[in-house]
Amino acid sequence: MLQNLVKNVWVPMKPYYTQAYQEIWLGMGLMSLIVYKIRSADKRSKALKASSPAPAHGHH
Amino acid sequence: MGLPIAVLIVMFPSILFPSPNRLINNRLISIQQWLIQLTSKQMLTIHNQKGRTWALMLMSLILFIGSTNLLGLLPHSFTPTTQLSMNLGMAIPLWAGTVITGFRHKTKASLAHFLPQGTPLPLIPMLVIIETISLFIQPMALAVRLTANITAGHLLIHLIGGATLALINISATTALITFMILVLLTILEFAVALIQAYVFTLLVSLYLHDNT
Repeated sequence: MLQNLVKNVWVPMKPYYTQAYQEIWLGMGLMSLIVYKIRSADKRSKALKASSPAPAHGHH
Repeated sequence: MGLPIAVLIVMFPSILFPSPNRLINNRLISIQQWLIQLTSKQMLTIHNQKGRTWALMLMSLILFIGSTNLLGLLPHSFTPTTQLSMNLGMAIPLWAGTVITGFRHKTKASLAHFLPQGTPLPLIPMLVIIETISLFIQPMALAVRLTANITAGHLLIHLIGGATLALINISATTALITFMILVLLTILEFAVALIQAYVFTLLVSLYLHDNT
């Protein structure tokens, strides 16, 4: 059943996915890189804030 | 079935576009086919052979954003395009795709875009910096434009509707406010015009990178 569905999607869309959209796949890779960088930076800053709860300079 | 419901909401507008099965379809599918043909012909005239390979992507983009924005005008509905994350997720891959296409097939011409013709010699370094900044701002502008317009429209409808309800007991200004709501909603129907703006901007970018 799943294989039939994939056959209905993949076979007609094969030239698009393999040739026409190559640059868009690269763009999606760039976007996932940006998402990963932002998420890891956020996680790092949250971990830093949680591990050192000393309000040295007060709250702005 | 641990799908978050936002996934189902995003996939919902595709149900409203039935796919043609036969040579001559029923009226709904025929109207849809005619509209898509009208839009795609209008949109693809300025492109050459290479640019027209993006026809499917551009048409599905305009259909998705158009249907999503129009469905968001119904009361109590959720519009995915009000979320900046989703608009950035649409803008960044497509813009990067056009830039990479330009660099891959016409490297010299793509690099030449950073310096307009006829600039005086002392201005060249500054102008290259400005053109680079304006290039990298394109995806952010695409995403933020769509988000801000749709969100602002929804917010105005909420606020003015709330004001109307509150003013019903004071009936002097009720008629005026209700009329304002009607006018604003009609103008907001031009969310579809915003889709035009989105796809056309993307289109212009694609055009510049492929043809020039």
